[in-house]
Amino acid sequence: MRRAVALVAGLALAGSAQAAQKLGEAQAQRSPEQVYSAVCGYCHGKNVGPVIRGRGLPAEAVEYQVRHGQNAMPAFRPTEITPAELKALAAWIQTSAADPKEHGQ
Amino acid sequence: MTANMDRRSLLGAGVASAAAAGLGTGAKAKAVLAPGVRKADFKGAVAAMRKVVGDEWVFADPDAVAPWKKSYTPDPYGKHIPVGAVCPETAEQVQAIVKIANQFRQPIWPVSTGKNMGYGQTTTAMPGQMILDLKRMNRIISVDPELCTALVEPGVTYRQLKDYLVENNLPLWIDVPTVGPIASPVGNTLDRGVGYTPYGEHFMVQCGMEVVLADGEILRTGMGSTKNPSAWQAFKWGYGPYLDGLFTQSNFGVVTKMGMWLMPAPPVYKPFVIRHRKMEDVARIVEAMRPLRIANIVPNVVLMMGGAYQLAMFKRRGEVWDGAGPITDEAVSKAATANNLGMWNTYIALYGTEGMIAESEKIIRAAFAAIDGEVLTEAEMKDNPWFHHHATLMQGGLNLDEIGLARWRGNGGGLAWFAPVAPAKGSETQGQVALAKQILGKHGFDYTAAFAIGSRELHHIIALLYDKSDPAEEKRADDCYRELVTGFGERGWASYRTGVHAMDLVAEQFGTVNRAFNAKLKDALDPNHILAPGKSGIA
Repeated sequence: MRRAVALVAGLALAGSAQAAQKLGEAQAQRSPEQVYSAVCGYCHGKNVGPVIRGRGLPAEAVEYQVRHGQNAMPAFRPTEITPAELKALAAWIQTSAADPKEHGQ
Repeated sequence: MTANMDRRSLLGAGVASAAAAGLGTGAKAKAVLAPGVRKADFKGAVAAMRKVVGDEWVFADPDAVAPWKKSYTPDPYGKHIPVGAVCPETAEQVQAIVKIANQFRQPIWPVSTGKNMGYGQTTTAMPGQMILDLKRMNRIISVDPELCTALVEPGVTYRQLKDYLVENNLPLWIDVPTVGPIASPVGNTLDRGVGYTPYGEHFMVQCGMEVVLADGEILRTGMGSTKNPSAWQAFKWGYGPYLDGLFTQSNFGVVTKMGMWLMPAPPVYKPFVIRHRKMEDVARIVEAMRPLRIANIVPNVVLMMGGAYQLAMFKRRGEVWDGAGPITDEAVSKAATANNLGMWNTYIALYGTEGMIAESEKIIRAAFAAIDGEVLTEAEMKDNPWFHHHATLMQGGLNLDEIGLARWRGNGGGLAWFAPVAPAKGSETQGQVALAKQILGKHGFDYTAAFAIGSRELHHIIALLYDKSDPAEEKRADDCYRELVTGFGERGWASYRTGVHAMDLVAEQFGTVNRAFNAKLKDALDPNHILAPGKSGIA
């Protein structure tokens, strides 16, 4: 029973893409899942950018691409995705499993 | 080599070496200092700014500035590259930075979230500027659920605001431009951008600003400068000359807070697409739509999406056209039909109660049946990705589907919006389509375009799509854009907005008296010309 409750709570958290931002406070550091949902996932896996999860892309290359915006991708500045957020995001993308709901060319 | 490298191979084993070479990025672009600014001035400004925001939030060496150099707009001569970036987190820090900029005569170019894709992103109209990057200032100051208003800082994205409303169960909608998730309500409104709900004309639903002036003073517009202001977000005009317009598409101050009105979520929302099969139908569509918009029977900003623009969102050019020269109407029509699209796809929506919507729908169906339009809803379009995209936009929903445009033509990510304005009359359409096709065709580019009706005006929204990784094509795109501006300008169709690459040329279309007036304001408000010189053609 306790296990079931924990699971439901976990799902609810995963479903809420952004930790609640309080009035008058700047956005707090986001998890890789939150950054992916709020930024990357609008193009990658949505037929705009290529699928990047589940491909073992090297974290270092991900960091470079985010900051430089290779080809048709825009660049994302440290003010948009903080250095700490990017480090965690790149590591997460490298090891993340493919999401069967995603598609792209 | 660069032009032919495909996206998958870039993402595969070769990614690290491609990255190291800076392929397809702005990393190699060389910045120069602004006229009259010596190296010692720049160094002095950088050192002083570091004391204000901390070492880690000033970027001045060429590699560190790379993320601010990326842009979709053409810059074949390297005139739009920033020389640095400074990233404050408070209005007080902005005041201090403005004073430093004056002291060292170092120009600064404010950006909110820097995601006005196809208008310049975080590049500048004139060289040698430091980007004043306001993204860290991303506080939602207040939301009033009774008045349906919000007060936000420039770095707040539409996504942040939407998340706040959803998480707090506030039944309020936002209105987004096509790059909503990563763009900013402040930045978009200040550039007089639009969205696609009934609140689509963003400057109309803006209310009150806080502005850091070039002398470091803070101005609050409208009711915001009264004692204990109570109506800052409720009443736009304040007393005396209305000032807010001076801070849109201009360089007279740095907006650090902006009030905005939010639409109460309607009980029922119903999106429609009206499909027409022939290119020349656009004149009839505009004639049918104008009275419906003016009478507000169609309440939202209307998009009439051309077939080629729609295809370019989700398809690669090679999938639908392999002939020489620009894609033909026949090829567009064939691919559009195969994807359940027309040559013109007009997206509108109704908001209200079932009864209100049913009444309006009757009128709209009759108006478009008379001009052979197929009026379609979710029942017929089902999961059509284009319908889904526009149905999302027209309820202030978030997606980035239109970024797909940037890789229609090769991988290089070239996009420049050309957006001339005309009156909303059918007679204004055919000549524009012919002229656009002629100029684009001369330079080898496709006519990927839409029309939009806000109220009484017709925006022609032309996506100039090119491969930026090919220097010759980037140069052609730049030439083409300039010819579009002057060619349309001669016919009385001038732009409502443009990218950093063409601000001066577009300003020329509005005449010498207009330019001289703006120049006088600039001299009075910013005598050292340290705020975004070149913005909207104001040096």
